[in-house]
Amino acid sequence: MKMIGGFIRNIIKDKVMLLMVLPGALWFLFFSYLPMVGTVIAFKEYRYSREGFWASIFHSKWVGWDNFKFLFTTNDAYIITRNTLLYNAVFILLGLVLSVVMAIVLAEIANKKLAKVYQTGMFLPYFLSWVVVGYFAFSFLSSESGVLNQILGYFGAEPINWYSEKKYWPVILVLVYLWKALGYNSVVYLAAIMGIDKSLYEAAMIDGAGKFQQIKNITLPLLSPIITIMTLLAIGKIFYADFGLFYQVPRNSGTLYSVTNVIDTYVYQGLKSTGEIGMSTAAGLYQSVVGFVLVITSNYIVRKFNKDSALF
Amino acid sequence: MSKKSKRLSLLLTSMMAVSVLLSACGGGSNNASSNDSASGSKGNSEKPVELIWYTIGAPQKDLDMVVAEINKYTKEKINATLKINMLDYGDYSQKMQVKVASGEPMDIMFTSSWALDYVQNARKGAFMELDSLIDKYGKDIKTAIDPAFLEGSKVDGHNYAIPANKELPAQEVWRFNKELVDKYKLDISKATTLDSIEPMLKTIKENEPGVTPYAMVKDYMPVLPFDYIIEKMPMAVYLNTKDYKIVNILESPELKSSLETVHKYYKAGYVSSEVATTSSVDDLYKAGKWFMDRATTQPMADNLWTASYGYPVVSTPAGESYIYNWSVMGSMQAISANSEHPEKAMEFLNLLNTDPYLRNLVDSGIEGVHYEKINDNTIKNLPEAKNYDMPSFSLGNIMINYLNEGDPADKWEQFKKFNEAGINAPLLGFNFDTSKVTSEIAAVQNVKEEFWAPLMTGTVDPDEYLPKAIEKFKAAGLDKIIAEAQTQIDAWKAANNK
Repeated sequence: MKMIGGFIRNIIKDKVMLLMVLPGALWFLFFSYLPMVGTVIAFKEYRYSREGFWASIFHSKWVGWDNFKFLFTTNDAYIITRNTLLYNAVFILLGLVLSVVMAIVLAEIANKKLAKVYQTGMFLPYFLSWVVVGYFAFSFLSSESGVLNQILGYFGAEPINWYSEKKYWPVILVLVYLWKALGYNSVVYLAAIMGIDKSLYEAAMIDGAGKFQQIKNITLPLLSPIITIMTLLAIGKIFYADFGLFYQVPRNSGTLYSVTNVIDTYVYQGLKSTGEIGMSTAAGLYQSVVGFVLVITSNYIVRKFNKDSALF
Repeated sequence: MSKKSKRLSLLLTSMMAVSVLLSACGGGSNNASSNDSASGSKGNSEKPVELIWYTIGAPQKDLDMVVAEINKYTKEKINATLKINMLDYGDYSQKMQVKVASGEPMDIMFTSSWALDYVQNARKGAFMELDSLIDKYGKDIKTAIDPAFLEGSKVDGHNYAIPANKELPAQEVWRFNKELVDKYKLDISKATTLDSIEPMLKTIKENEPGVTPYAMVKDYMPVLPFDYIIEKMPMAVYLNTKDYKIVNILESPELKSSLETVHKYYKAGYVSSEVATTSSVDDLYKAGKWFMDRATTQPMADNLWTASYGYPVVSTPAGESYIYNWSVMGSMQAISANSEHPEKAMEFLNLLNTDPYLRNLVDSGIEGVHYEKINDNTIKNLPEAKNYDMPSFSLGNIMINYLNEGDPADKWEQFKKFNEAGINAPLLGFNFDTSKVTSEIAAVQNVKEEFWAPLMTGTVDPDEYLPKAIEKFKAAGLDKIIAEAQTQIDAWKAANNK
């Protein structure tokens, strides 16, 4: 009784705060927690029932781990896991370094108007859909009318059939990803830099610290919590490949599969014709569980070194 | 803190429990009401039933106007009104798959071998089994459409959809841009096999630098004497098979020699160097910058192509005319398993396939607004027709449609003749049940995506890549799928005295 009273008192006391949290909490409840019930589909052979969705789930047959099998049956399992992990690791690492550098450079540009122009210019690709980006890349790489092959022709070199030469693709994919994602990520860091107390820099300058020393001793240490959080969040998604990047940009070219096939495209290719939602649910569950484990582990490691930077 | 979270989880679970209960109850009451309406008498005083119909095609501006007109007629005839929802070609399969899986209310939906896969969805329970409904409420359908359609679209011995009465067999033709044929005085009747077209391609390549001699896309496949177990998968029986033994087409001499020819054409520049990633050559068609390609034909197809491209197109057969499962299942309307008014839906489908007034209203719109009559059964489109341009093939029996201006008077007779000329493919009526090999199919699909387009379009050297493909298909479990299919075919063969 006392507990409930305390609970109500707490609610009344924090009602404004709670009200602010409410929309977000409801959103998570309805779009993230309630649908979790659906993960049982991963262990069922989903068949339609005329009494609706719940009845369909209820009446479908249990099949144990059968739905997970297709992910591991062939040696493609190794290739798609390797591609997904390596690409994402490179994206996290290069993305982090370049966007922090970019944010610092933007913050240091004296002409604020010009800085805004750069920032907007870099931010823009983030809003483009991968389909559009895929065509941008195509206009560069097309073997008949692409810009790159025309330049090669100008120098007298043989044209390259980009969409069937797999050795170039790890670089192309990383470049395209960075071009698209850099602007957005650097804005996050830029915002953090803007929040740093200016008096720290003034004090440093009085003590005779140069630009690089200021960056090394003030900006970077104060950025480290946000860097840790952003990286932890990215690690949680390391098993999810960006479908658009790996499907639209290489134009689904078969000869490139050994370097462009990732878990998400593999699942799409395998299931677009059979439409077994049990199997796609299984793939999603597998990705989430691995992501969850990775986040917990890396958070645990971060806690060991610096308790304040950890997520929880 | 922990107590709070316990409370929250309790709240969550109880909410879920309630929602499950609610939906279960909802399902129950739906059932009861549909039973009531079935047993209830069919007086005109009864409230008209609204049928929800999902069909394929770009949504039309004047749809609501036409539907209002349709409803006037159907209300009087069968005491039902329609709510037509159109989904565009690219979206249809995906959106419908979600709607069906989540149990969204609907009564009638378009299904086929190429959009919202008919056989698979029938097996998963998406459609209502129609055998008794056809006998009771759809008798006229049986006489109105070619019996081969109803027979050929049975899944495990039952009908789950009403096929549209249209062209039945599929025949491949070589198509030519007639302007170039005339310019170089080429004889298209000489084009028969893939090898036979080489001299023509060479002429064009040498004399017309801006023109793509062969307008090929990544889905290209040579004409081979096979009937496939699953379309575009490397397992099939020979069209003239006696023992129904499945062969891996990648290991067949026919495919090998075709691939070598295509690779030769690729190297000679007769096809685009980007063909393995090209999904459409519409720009070539629009600009007239192509010489030849291959397509599936139907009676008077040359006229259709000529009209749609705006310059003359001619064609000549590239293969024989066969009736395949996929050609029979090219366009169908099914009744949803969760339909609350299956009887009314069948009555409507019956009317749609037999009543020329209704069929033409759905197809061409309102007389005097979208079209005008030239004589009793020939019409001419009015400018407003662009606001109501429905895909005829998808909306039931096309042979009761009015003729368009310029069509020969015996158009539908020609269709009937074309249908009669088709030869039954060996696997007509057999549908592979993939449920025991779904994991293998998912793995094999990936191998297919990797090798198919580069091999078939000649982009890669078959001597090097064909053995690699064969090996990888086997590693992914192709042999297991073939073995399962063979067992099913043998059982089917025995049951049907083939």
